[in-house]
Order: sequence, then structure tokens, then C-alpha cells
Amino acid sequence: MDTLVARYSQPMFEKDYTEDQLDMYQPAPSLSLRFAMPPVAQPSAWLRAATDDHANPNCPIKIAHGTTTLAFRFQGGIIVATDSRATAGNWIASQTVKKVIEINNCLLGTMAGGAADCQYWLAYLGMQCRLHELRHKRRISVAAASKILANLVYSYKGMGLSMGTMCAGVTKEEGPALYYIDSDGTRLAGNLFCVGSGQTFAYGVLDAEYSYDLSEEAALELGRRSILAATHRDAYSGGFINLYHVKEDGWVKHGFNDTNPIFWKTKLESGEFSNVTSELV
Amino acid sequence: MNHLPQSWGRPRDDIYGAYDHSYLQSNGPNQHTQSPIVTGTSVIALKFKDGVVIAADNLASYGSLARFTDVKRLRSFADSSIVGFGGDVSDMQYLDRLLSSLDTREAYCSSGHSLNAQNLHTYLAKVFYKRRSEFSPLWNQVLVAGLDAESKPFLASADLLGTTFSAPSLATGFGAHLAQPLLRKVAPDEDAVAKLSEEEAVQAVKESMKVLFYRDARSLDKYSIAVVTKAGIRLKEDEKLENQSWAFADKIRGYGTQVN
Amino acid sequence: MSAMFSQNPLMNGPNYSFNQAPSTAAAGNKEHGFYPYTDNGGSTLAISGSDFTIVAGDTRSTSGYNINTRYSPKVFKIGGTTSSQDDATLVLSVVGFAADGEALKERLDAIVKMYRYQHGKPMSVKACAQRLSTILYGKRFFPYYVTAILGGLDEEGNGAVYSYDPVGSYEREQCRAAGAAASLIMPFLDNQVNYKNQYIPGSGVGHALVEREKIPLGRTEVEDVVKDAFDSAVERHIEVGDGLQMFVITKSGIEEKYLPLKRD
Repeated sequence: MDTLVARYSQPMFEKDYTEDQLDMYQPAPSLSLRFAMPPVAQPSAWLRAATDDHANPNCPIKIAHGTTTLAFRFQGGIIVATDSRATAGNWIASQTVKKVIEINNCLLGTMAGGAADCQYWLAYLGMQCRLHELRHKRRISVAAASKILANLVYSYKGMGLSMGTMCAGVTKEEGPALYYIDSDGTRLAGNLFCVGSGQTFAYGVLDAEYSYDLSEEAALELGRRSILAATHRDAYSGGFINLYHVKEDGWVKHGFNDTNPIFWKTKLESGEFSNVTSELV
Repeated sequence: MNHLPQSWGRPRDDIYGAYDHSYLQSNGPNQHTQSPIVTGTSVIALKFKDGVVIAADNLASYGSLARFTDVKRLRSFADSSIVGFGGDVSDMQYLDRLLSSLDTREAYCSSGHSLNAQNLHTYLAKVFYKRRSEFSPLWNQVLVAGLDAESKPFLASADLLGTTFSAPSLATGFGAHLAQPLLRKVAPDEDAVAKLSEEEAVQAVKESMKVLFYRDARSLDKYSIAVVTKAGIRLKEDEKLENQSWAFADKIRGYGTQVN
Repeated sequence: MSAMFSQNPLMNGPNYSFNQAPSTAAAGNKEHGFYPYTDNGGSTLAISGSDFTIVAGDTRSTSGYNINTRYSPKVFKIGGTTSSQDDATLVLSVVGFAADGEALKERLDAIVKMYRYQHGKPMSVKACAQRLSTILYGKRFFPYYVTAILGGLDEEGNGAVYSYDPVGSYEREQCRAAGAAASLIMPFLDNQVNYKNQYIPGSGVGHALVEREKIPLGRTEVEDVVKDAFDSAVERHIEVGDGLQMFVITKSGIEEKYLPLKRD
């Protein structure tokens, strides 16, 4: 009788206390793979309906996009350079995005596509790399690190993750190593990659001037100049140029500089961009 | 993957099929989890200096059919609060059972009954939000009238999405368009509420019910009205609109066959 | 996890090849057409100074062209030890879908309170910012439809503002406007707080241009900027108005200010 009474007098929805209460008792949980899903038959189609501003410009949630990022290997290590603009449709959501993500002191990741996806999964990768170090008493190889990420995003294929990232690091075994990973699950090793809406413009400059034997100074300048070309021609790229140099003993940051003065300096001092007039004719 | 980040992560049409607009549309066939079937129209409520007046008519419509003409949409809770339901009637009855069980449980508490209108509103809002997160919403908008923890007049709204808000006067459905302006004229802010007498408040609510009956095609001239104060609840469930007059009608110009 | 992948056609069967691509939407039962979001309008704004942070938001709540209420706060103190939040050190603002905002606020508040209870000290803004990001990303596939801004003081006592997108990407910034009138307020802030595109007259052309010196604004100046920003937004946006709620975070606590805005 008591059970009968209990069954009919208990509100039906009071049965489970799940995530909300769990995360309260675990204030600093590790980055997890548990995600709340929309309770529909096809969550990915639902999510797409809500977020795909390409197919439906009136969709309610717009995720920030648009980028130029590049990285290339040379004799002195790896140069990583990015712009800093984030756009949601035609709206420039930010001009100061840090698109180079410091996974740890010798591994860098770049960010193109969904900003949250890149930040979260590269932080997750950082955690996995540290665990690898603790378990095996040596640093993880760039190959292994990039594969963790590639396998991870592949397992979410079709769910709507959006990222095009490069992992750059230098290890004793591999030397300078550079991998490209994207949300389709592609993972490629290579000497030189440009990723994002401005990639074509960056490739144009980079391919013309690239050589493996570049000096450190020339390599940094080439990275900067390639991003500058992209910010000049691609409306979805702009803001600041973020420059990094990865060496065997870790990466070095070479500034986060406004493109505008760099553009004028390049034009007026080196005579480039002569198609742009500096005064009204 | 092409080079435009704008298209990344968006399932390609050639692989995943075309973008399905139907998820975002609000009309057309079988769109709703359960769409409201038998519905109640507006609920209106107004705070005054020592309490709240709340009213709703006694009609449950089945589409455009005035199906049930004796459905009470105001429900008292613990002799201290009133909940007014707009929207689906079956969901209203579910919530009614739910509140009864809550009431029973609370009454058995050693400390006795302590849930005020504010607590009740929070509870209902959480129920609504949980159900919307399960994509199985309770298709209602409710107004909760009563007193808060400091025994001051309390009036707040909660709806099927879990959205909540509070104001000196509130109205759901058609009432938000027709009654709310009239009520706001009487009580534009909390200062005005502090000066408003019960008689004035009841008068304003009754007047608003009349306006609603004139223009809301899903309304009825039989209605329930309740006054909640510290002294308790006075709920009248069989009121009839009085002194109706369509005299204003022949003065209306500008539409229909009457152009000038 | 497996439940999640089982709903992805690609994880279970062979992939579609390009030539057998379906030309219509994916088949399968779609029993739910319920749309779980709405936009309640409004705007928020946060600016950090050298030893203070101001987080502000208007108090109008709308649905469509209707005004739900003229007082519905969207800026909240987070992580005090009591329900009155008197000893809170952080402020969260949420704009977008109010019910999601409320749920997010309560979840973060509970976590920060629990942290304080377990560690015997308030959570730092930096830690709270990271935690908020993971909370938002935890709903990556069923997002909270909100734009959040978190304000507080960092370990050095400097003002700190962290801004978020609905799925948790975040960045520390000097200032940020969010919500319906973000596109009206943000350019104003770029100009008045960061002095963007302001150069010293006659300093030259191209890269010879010298930028106007960036002096950090004082508290009264920032308060004025916030007021002006909202007054202007109210003039040009229908979803913004009624009241301006401002939280000023300093090392001596959080001060709340409420100013009327135009109610038309």
C-alpha cells in the first residue's frame, strides 16, 4: 500500500538527479566527453538547423568563424602565424582572438573554424599530453598528439564540430614536426600549411618565398608577410598578426601586432602593395 | 573540406542530405511534440498595496469551438497562493495533480506548510524548464499570485519554455496585447502599486476582462476572479461580466464596410 | 557515448558515397518539432579598469514586440556564501534566452559556492572563467542560447572581463558589449575605451600616424561611458530600455546601481 501511495504521489520527474548536481560536488572536473544532447532522433540535424547560418541566415545561434592561419617547417624549427579576427555572418565578433593555442610549453595548436571547438579540444589534448608525460616519463611526440586529436574529432564526425587546426612541435626524435587536423578527421604531416578563408592568399606569398633553409629572421618575416597578404585580400581575416616560433626547447612568442601599421610600413618602406594609393587622386 | 571556415562542420548536402528547415518552422502539419488541443485563453493579474487580484474566464476552447464553458482555470495552493493557467487544459490538469501531490507532501512536513507564492513559482518554472529541455513541454503560461517571503504582494509568470518574469501587472495570451496596457495605466510601477487600493485593482481587472470579452474571440463572459491578501484567498468562480455595452461599436471607423 | 554515436548514421553503417547522396533531408523519424528557444532581447556591457570592473545590463524583457516586464535583471552576483550574495566577488551577465540564462547562472553559482565551501576561499575570476567555458561547452550539441560575460578582479587586483560565445569559446578583454544592441554599443566602446582609430592630428600618414595615448579610464568616466552607451542604444533599439542595472566590482566589494532608462 505504501509503495502504491508513493508511486502515485511522487511527481514523475523527480526521479533522477544527474549532471546538475554531479558537477556541483566536483567543482573542478577534468574536461569530459559527456555532452548534453538534444532529446531528438537526430541531434546533429537539429543542431544544424539551429546553427547553420550558411544554409539559413536567420538561424538563431551563430557560431564565430573565419580565419587565416599558417605554419611551416624550416631549418630553425617551425613558424606559426595567424590573424586575430572572428566573424559571425558579417559581424566582426572580435579583432583580438588568440588563435595560437599554447597546448604546453613545446606544442602549439592553431585555431580555425569554431572557436569553442578549437579551444576545448586543444585544452583536452593538452590534458592528454600531460597524462602521457606522467605515464611514460617523456614528452609525447607531435605525431602521437596530433593523432589523439584526429581520432577524437573523427569520433564526432557528422555531429557538427568545426575545426581546422595545425599541431606544431619540435622533439628530439622527430625534429620539427607539423600536422594538419580537421573536423572531417583528416590528419596530414607536411612542411607547410595554410588554413582558413584566407589560406589561398597566404599560400600565394608563402609558396613563392618559401625555402627550408630560410634564416630565422627571414622565416618570421615570411610568416608575417603571408598573413598580411591574407588580411589585405580576405574580408574574414584581419586584426592583429600573432607570430610564434617553435624550437626544440619550446616555443617563443614574437608579438601580437596590429596589421594596419605593418601594412603601411610594408607599402611605404618596401614599395609593395603599390596598387593601393595612399592619397586620394 | 574546402578552405572556407564558414562551411566547416556544416554537414555537406551531398553526404548528409539537405538542410532541414522543418526544425525551425512553427506552422504546418505535425510540427509539435504535442500541440495544445483544448486551450484556455488569457489570464490577467494585478498587484495592489496589500495583495494581488487575478482573473481568468471559464472557457476551454477546442480550436475555434467553445467546447467547455465551465472550466475553472484559477487554482489555489495552500490557502495562500493562486495559480492561473493559460494554454493547454490537459497540461493544466497534470500540473494541478502535481501541485496536489506537492501540497500533500508539504503538509506532512514536520515544519508544516511553508511554501509561499514565490517558492511555488520557482517550482513551476523548474518543472517547465525541465520539460522543455526534454522537448516535451507543458503547453502553458501560468501566473502565480500571492505573497513572497516578506509577505509582500508577489506576482510572476512562467511559461512552456521556462521563461520567468515578474511585474506589477501581468497578462498571458491575448491579454498581453489587450489587457496589459489598461493594467499598466493603473499600475505603471511598484510605487503606483503601493498606492493602489483593492477596490481600484479589482475594478481595473474586471474592466480588462470586459475588454477581452469584446475582442478575444476565444473568451467567455463567465469568469473566475481571486483576491490574495495576508488575510487569505477570496476566490469567486462564477462571476459574470456586467454592464456590457456595444455602444462604442458604431463609433468605430476605418475598417470593414465602414470606411469613413 | 555509444548512445550518441548510434544516432549518427555514419558511425553505424557504410558511408554514403558521393553519387548516392540523398537529395532530400535525412530520413528517419522526427517526432519533435518543438522549438525550445526564444529571444528575450536586451543588452549587456562590461568594462574593466585598473582596479575595478563594471558589468551592466538593461532590465527590459521582451517577447516579440511585447514587453514582458520592465524589471528583469540579467546581471547577477555569483558565488557569495548566502542567498543575498553580499560577499560575492564575481558578476555574471547573461543575455539571449532568459530561461537558459537563469539555468546557467544557477549552475555556475552553485559550483562557485561549492568551491568556496570546499576550499575556504572565493574562486578566482580566471578559474571561474575556465569553468564557465566548460559548462557552456558541455552543452555544445544542445547549446545554452546565451551570450555570457563574466566580470571580477584578477589576482593582481586589476579589473578582468571575460566574454563568451554560446558554446563556450572565451577571451579576456578590456570591454565587451553583448546582446541585441551589441552592434550598436561595441563600435562606441572601441572608440571611447580603446581609442580605436584615434590618432594625434598631424602626426603623419600610414604607419607614421601616432595613436592617441591610451590612458586607462577612471571609474567615473567608465560609468559615464556605460550610461551613454545604453542611452544611445535605447534610442535606436526596440528591445533595450526601461532600466539600467550596474554592478561595480572593487576590492571592497560589489556596489549595485540602478538608473532609469527611457521606457518607450
